[in-house]
Amino acid sequence: MNFAIEAKNLLKNFGDFRAVDGISFNVRRGETFAILGENGAGKSTTMRMIACRSPLSDGELFVEGFNIKKDEREIRSIIGIVPQENNLDPDLNVRENLLVYSRYFRLEQEFAIRRTEELLDFIRLAKKADAKVDALSGGMKRRLIIARALLHKPKILLLDEPTTGLDPNVRQEIWEKLEELRRAENLTIVLSTHYMDEAEKLCQRLLVMAHGKIIADGIPRDLIYEKVKRYALEVREADALPLQKTNANFIAVKRGTAHLYFAENADQLTLLMQNYGSRPMLLRPSNLEDVFLRLLDTQVF
Amino acid sequence: MHFALSKVDLIDAFAVWRRNSRVYLRLWKTELIAPVIEPIFTFFAFGFGVGALVTSKINGLSYLSFVGAGVLAFTVLMRAVFEMTYGAYFRMVYQSTYDAILATPVNAESLAFGEILWAVTKGIIDTLFILPLVIIFGSATSAFTPLAILPLTFGCLFLGSLALGLTAHIFEIDHFNIFFALFFSTIFLCGAWFPVELLPGWLQIIAYILPTTAVIDLTRACLNGNFAFRHIYETVYLLVVSFVLLNWALRSIRKRMVV
Repeated sequence: MNFAIEAKNLLKNFGDFRAVDGISFNVRRGETFAILGENGAGKSTTMRMIACRSPLSDGELFVEGFNIKKDEREIRSIIGIVPQENNLDPDLNVRENLLVYSRYFRLEQEFAIRRTEELLDFIRLAKKADAKVDALSGGMKRRLIIARALLHKPKILLLDEPTTGLDPNVRQEIWEKLEELRRAENLTIVLSTHYMDEAEKLCQRLLVMAHGKIIADGIPRDLIYEKVKRYALEVREADALPLQKTNANFIAVKRGTAHLYFAENADQLTLLMQNYGSRPMLLRPSNLEDVFLRLLDTQVF
Repeated sequence: MHFALSKVDLIDAFAVWRRNSRVYLRLWKTELIAPVIEPIFTFFAFGFGVGALVTSKINGLSYLSFVGAGVLAFTVLMRAVFEMTYGAYFRMVYQSTYDAILATPVNAESLAFGEILWAVTKGIIDTLFILPLVIIFGSATSAFTPLAILPLTFGCLFLGSLALGLTAHIFEIDHFNIFFALFFSTIFLCGAWFPVELLPGWLQIIAYILPTTAVIDLTRACLNGNFAFRHIYETVYLLVVSFVLLNWALRSIRKRMVV
């Protein structure tokens, strides 16, 4: 058994609405794996199924070899969950939030106390240990939620949109912590996000969901090379000008008032720049966002 | 038939109970003063105020002796109901405490059971503080007085379960208003302030169906030492209702939280 998570034909219906439509995927041990998609694509439902909070309508799901239909307790005790929304306990202070939570995992008191101080150091909140949760900044709360999910030394960390709504510097900080954890603790990390830069920066592998289905999966770099070309030219405020036709050298796409061109060779794109005079332009390597938008363009639902 | 209660893990439920007790201990001064102030004034109002107008004896009891059980039961039951309506709703919806707890090995049934256990505990704590008042005001004359804790415990269990089950079905906090309107109305029927026998026949039937009537009657029997045969089936009825509603509450919380 080499996989941390094995999902086979996962299906979830809410009444007539099919939120997850028979998806299959594997997450390897020790990797960071992202589930990408727009709001309503089925990411959160998939995460909730792994977290034992949403029973499967059909399909099979194994977490570290445990069957979700039978071994719920075992699974719940080896995963750490970082929810999208802050659900720290406002009735308790920072330290108590960890200590009280450790009881739900039946951690021995001595270990729980030691682990709490260790984690408060790790998230640099030791000085705020006696503060009320409401007195913390958004980034501090996020860090505390991550620490809380690590109390019981989980094998898998599940993060549902971990940096949504955070300042850019706080996002950087969270990313660093996650990378540190993956390296130091050999933790398997599964995160859902709609930030392409987040996925590209953190993940070894990912899958893209739309309307409950997987529309692409693989290694970020490979996906970029496979689904779009290596380089992209973005021209803004170009709606008054004609879009060049896709040919053997480049792909042309219109997006709002912008024109986008993708090519294997940056020189092809420099040539195109001449057509646009002084319009704002950006020549750059293609990224996951391009892949994502391309996929949505070409997908027929 | 398969009972939700069988899925409860007592150690997990106790962990949930301890979370609530920790918060309570932090706020114990305000938590304790409120439930003691109210019965004192209820005693003044009903015992001395209304009591002065009531000259007839009720089953051989003075009105002050009669109404003591009502004051005690009303305060204690209210406490459990408030804890499992507004208290539980805040933890479930506004604070997402239930979400946080369900991200651990604790399952929905153990969570709900721990919550109800806590509501019952709060009722028992209040009972312990209000019982001396009942004695001071002269409403408890029997050596069986401490036994009043038993019917009140099951009263808190059945009403706490009913309240948590309803909370699990509510998506707007204002919907509690309907429940409270019903709850306060029924309290007037259940023999807290006057004997059920004084009601018109059809209302008496409703009163006897309401398990709160059994709670108050049993509490009164403990305070006065006047036990009768009907107290046996009142006890059985209360136990059955408590069990059924407890299971319903546990199932309802799972249905709400695990979707």
